[in-house]
Amino acid sequence: MMNCLDFRRQVGAEPAAGGPEFDAHRRECAACARHQDELRALDGLIARALAVDPARIRRPAAGAGGGPATRRRYFAIAASIVVGLSVGLVLLVSAPRASIAREVVDHVVHEPGTMNLLVPVAAGALAGVLDPEGTRLRPGIGDVTFAARCVHQGHVVPHLVVRMPEGAVTVLLLRHREIDEPVQIAEQGLEGVVFPAPRGSIAIVGQGLKDPARVAQKVFEAVDWGV
Amino acid sequence: MNREDGETDRRRRFGVLCESLRPDLLRFAFWLGRDRQLAEDVVQEAMLRAWKSFDALEDEERAKPWFLTIVRREFARSFERKRLPLADLDLLVTTEAEVLAAEDDEQLAAMRQALFRLDDEYREPLVLQVMMGYSTKEIAAMMGLQQGAVLTRLFRARARLRQELGLAPEPAP
Repeated sequence: MMNCLDFRRQVGAEPAAGGPEFDAHRRECAACARHQDELRALDGLIARALAVDPARIRRPAAGAGGGPATRRRYFAIAASIVVGLSVGLVLLVSAPRASIAREVVDHVVHEPGTMNLLVPVAAGALAGVLDPEGTRLRPGIGDVTFAARCVHQGHVVPHLVVRMPEGAVTVLLLRHREIDEPVQIAEQGLEGVVFPAPRGSIAIVGQGLKDPARVAQKVFEAVDWGV
Repeated sequence: MNREDGETDRRRRFGVLCESLRPDLLRFAFWLGRDRQLAEDVVQEAMLRAWKSFDALEDEERAKPWFLTIVRREFARSFERKRLPLADLDLLVTTEAEVLAAEDDEQLAAMRQALFRLDDEYREPLVLQVMMGYSTKEIAAMMGLQQGAVLTRLFRARARLRQELGLAPEPAP
């Protein structure tokens, strides 16, 4: 037979505890039954409290990378890359930056069919891909004909294909990859750039683009980072 | 299935698991470290480690505890690597106020703050039990403790929360 001390020790650790012994004691002791009910209600409140919105966890703390100064910095980077790429400047590529370019190329080359789609994706589908990142694409950049969350180097990243007047452009939002400077991509027929972004980096690549630098800048400016 | 199809399938399966588990892993990492930036970093690294050892996961039904173990280990590694300083609790509460806020629900906000202030040794098993739904036996295995120790910590965690929230003390038997 369970006594009050044993009952309360157990339900204090496991409020959901039940079974014949517990039921029998609850019938015998109204105070213990009330105590277990209060603990179960408390657990309900604990569960609600623990269920914080993941989007709030992912949003950077105020002053930790958002705000107008950050936006100006990234637009400045976008402008500088146009100049750098347009005059054919070759960026010094250290091993880590070479690897990010290769990772992007490997990803795009591995999914060749994505560049050939013509039907725009539904707005809801696009939102489903971008919403977890807290980002969105401003209208007017072109039709998004492919939008998916893909595995890239062990991380799930948004992968878009945008049909612009200049051609089809692949966009990868690489939240997990911080880089300090833009990295040019020019291999396996793909041209583009990886920019630092308010969250991680963004890769913008295409094939046979007339002015890849200009295209990359337009795409970069079309992404609303929510900062 | 040729090699390329196999790789595509592997990526798809991993992607599906990540997408479904990520919110809970992020919440778990946040309550473990009480720091959203650290939570984000730990979960990112854990995902990368999980991808590299994905073939070691024999049963995808067991993916959640497998991922949690990787997150816990990555968290411990972060502490060791970065030598994270002991943070002032009041400062932590202020820094993470945006996550802890609960509009129009003072009781919920108060509980979040009380959970935030719980000692690590009480908070972690409580999160694993209440948020993740693990039994005390499973929690003991994950934390490397005896089941009795887990029961004691859970009992004390709830007692502390009741005290912090100004609830009536446990009635005397």
